[in-house]
Amino acid sequence: MDAPRPAQDPEFLVNKTRVRLLGLSFDDAVKIFFGGNALISVVVLTLITYFLFQEGFGFFGQNHRSLLTYRQAGLEYVDYIRQQETGHTALNRYLADLRLREFNEFVSVQKLDIETANARLAPFDDFAGHFADSVDPLRGIISDLTEQATAIKTKFLVAEDKKVEREQLLAVGKTDEAAAVKIDIIDFPAELKALTDTLPLYRTASAEFAVKLMAALDKAPQMPTPELAARLDRLRQLTKDYIATFPATQRLLETWDYTRPIPWYQSGLSFITGKQWLTASFWQDFYGIVPLFMGSFMVSLVALALAVPFGVGAAIYVNQMASAREQRMIKPCIEFIAAFPSVVLGFFGIAVLGETLRLLSQQEWLAWVPGFPFSERLNILTAGCLLALIAVPTIFTLAEDALQNVPKAFKEASFALGATRLQTIVRIIVPASLSGIISAVLLGLGRVIGETMVVLLCAGNRIAIPDFTAGLAVITQPVHTMTGIIAQEMGEVVQGSIHYRALFVVGLVLFFLSLTINFLAQKIVRKYRISIG
Amino acid sequence: MSSPARHAFSAQINNARRRETAAVWIFRCVTYTVLLCGALVFGKIVFQGSKTVFTTEAPFINTAFFTESPETLHVFEFDGKKMELGDRDFRAFKAANPTAKDLKSETYVYSAGGIFPAIAGTVLLVLGSMTIALTLGVSAAIYLSEYATQGRVVTAIRISILNLAGVPSIVFGLFGVGLFVIFLDWNVSLLAGWFTLALMVLPVVITASEESLKAVPQGFREGALALGATKWQTIRTNVLPYAMPGILTSSILGIARVAGETAPIMFTAAYAMRDKLPWEDLESYGDFVFQGVMALPYHIYVVSSKIPQNEYTERVQYGTAFVFLMIVAMIATTSILLRNHLRKRYRW
Repeated sequence: MDAPRPAQDPEFLVNKTRVRLLGLSFDDAVKIFFGGNALISVVVLTLITYFLFQEGFGFFGQNHRSLLTYRQAGLEYVDYIRQQETGHTALNRYLADLRLREFNEFVSVQKLDIETANARLAPFDDFAGHFADSVDPLRGIISDLTEQATAIKTKFLVAEDKKVEREQLLAVGKTDEAAAVKIDIIDFPAELKALTDTLPLYRTASAEFAVKLMAALDKAPQMPTPELAARLDRLRQLTKDYIATFPATQRLLETWDYTRPIPWYQSGLSFITGKQWLTASFWQDFYGIVPLFMGSFMVSLVALALAVPFGVGAAIYVNQMASAREQRMIKPCIEFIAAFPSVVLGFFGIAVLGETLRLLSQQEWLAWVPGFPFSERLNILTAGCLLALIAVPTIFTLAEDALQNVPKAFKEASFALGATRLQTIVRIIVPASLSGIISAVLLGLGRVIGETMVVLLCAGNRIAIPDFTAGLAVITQPVHTMTGIIAQEMGEVVQGSIHYRALFVVGLVLFFLSLTINFLAQKIVRKYRISIG
Repeated sequence: MSSPARHAFSAQINNARRRETAAVWIFRCVTYTVLLCGALVFGKIVFQGSKTVFTTEAPFINTAFFTESPETLHVFEFDGKKMELGDRDFRAFKAANPTAKDLKSETYVYSAGGIFPAIAGTVLLVLGSMTIALTLGVSAAIYLSEYATQGRVVTAIRISILNLAGVPSIVFGLFGVGLFVIFLDWNVSLLAGWFTLALMVLPVVITASEESLKAVPQGFREGALALGATKWQTIRTNVLPYAMPGILTSSILGIARVAGETAPIMFTAAYAMRDKLPWEDLESYGDFVFQGVMALPYHIYVVSSKIPQNEYTERVQYGTAFVFLMIVAMIATTSILLRNHLRKRYRW
């Protein structure tokens, strides 16, 4: 009854023993390889954070030292007095503006020829001259003190360099050479005494300045129109306010103490709230992000103000109103616009748009537009218009997706109730997809804030906080932006210097700003998914 | 009031209807304004640029512009004639004409010659970075679509991809400087540029590839698995071949983005001017990847911001912008058309 035994084991197709390496089969290895690649995005994000921090973090220590030097070398002391002078300069600008207005009044309204007008303005010029010269005593003191303070700072920096040199020599074991490096010990109290000793001089100069200012004001000429007279009164008031700040400055100077420590948070605080981004200056470098942030903010605001209506409007049109043929034509065209390289748009702004807008602003019939006419062809408006063209495709595509995701039943129900197409869109479709649209706008904002080449080429690159007193005309001022400053200055800085690190901190701010915007956009979208159910 | 054509069932022209027509027209105008703006920018650059790129006689294309290196342009008057010559020609001219020895000329940098090194550099940058990005991106997408199960790690990966997509390009530039140029000490080099650009487009490639992989019907995989194939065999034979066209077309959009970006390569790979072509005078093959190159987008930045705007410099400015725009536009159009074509072809 024995069944015949097979001569050999049957041949199966899959009897191959699996090769194992380190306990892994080939399939496991493949899986791990792919998984490792997937992890790269996490690694990259971590690395970006790490390297931005690594390069940027030293900034705070260096900035602290720089601020300390600023105080110890007496630069701060001199700047108090200088601020007083700056206030006077602002008043002088006001006066110059007043002269221009009066001149215009004579020439355009009273139709005098230019020479007569200038002759009429002679008393005013005389007055303005007195007003401007009144600051002279103070200015003399400032220039003396500037020299002294700079000398102290230079001495201090040289000593610091020597210290570093000695440490380096010690580190490589050259003790004798290290001992030979002479370090001047700076006697701050003695050096600064020369500075603070000028206080009585300052007191008299400041008092004299105030008297001269008032005397000049008393001799102010009559203004031809009530409007101009009101402006002159305003100047009087401003000057009085200005003089009223003198005692405060004096008190600052009297109580100034170079030993007063600079708190540890001051370094970061001065970066976040600093109103000056001043680099490579002979006096003192300041790294304050406010002007750059405001520049980025204003440019993005203008861009979004243009891009949101156009982007969302086009999305609504294409998704809800356009015929199928129009849809097929418009969508690729807008995607095509999205492919425009930003540097080409930036070039277009420099070569064409800036000049076009400037010429347009000088047309008589457009004079009512705030800020028109303007003379700087590269400004917030130029950059904003081009950024809008970059943001429109982003907003359009995402908003169109959001509209597409609204269930058809919503629309049908609305029609069944007798609503017109417009009513359906305004009351049903748009509210239902609102969170999607908002997140589209947010992602558009992220795109605009991070855009570099257009703002670098077209925003005007003037590092100053836009003058908001100008009202809406603020959009015709040139600014500098966070992205622009990195692109512009990164190529020129010394590696490891405070300036270099400051740029990395700006990058860090940009990075976290973009993460926040992204996070918000995702959060809104997620909420939206639940609500539709 | 009512025209003879109206009858009881024709739509009533009431205020709601008028409002609707007006709204449609407003939206229509908005949409076409966007298209018009795009067309204006495109048209202006094409119009001005074609003056540089094309010529009126055979071969109708300004070959010098495509094959030569940038040169300084000399504009001068000689014998009462206004002449414009590139740097080399100017020297030759001086040598040939003894009377022209102390000729004074106005000079404009980069305004003569061509842009060949910039084109070559851009091609090299794009090829290298896309190779890296595709390898990393497609592998990551395969993991996410085929292997990954919902979990904390996968969530972390997805969140990083989403966030990486929103990081500004200039921040990638800074990162490239910190990691590749300084920490790994690659200096300003092709390699640093490749990796910076590759990491920048990575989210685009991953998202696009994952979408294409997900579009392959589940039945294809199940069929292969049921026949006893391993997971990797399934992916290799039954998923990737069908997803590949989709992956490639979507990645072309990534190429357009890589080619168009300036900020990340400004400090990692690009030189404003370099006499040698990337393959000239190499001491060893390794040097090839450790050299900086010229790149079209950076060249546009340089010629539009560092030299004045006038009739002499305009040619090279518009010409470069035109060539660059054309390259990017061609890539983008190919991608859009291919995608529409594929959508029609694969229906399962």
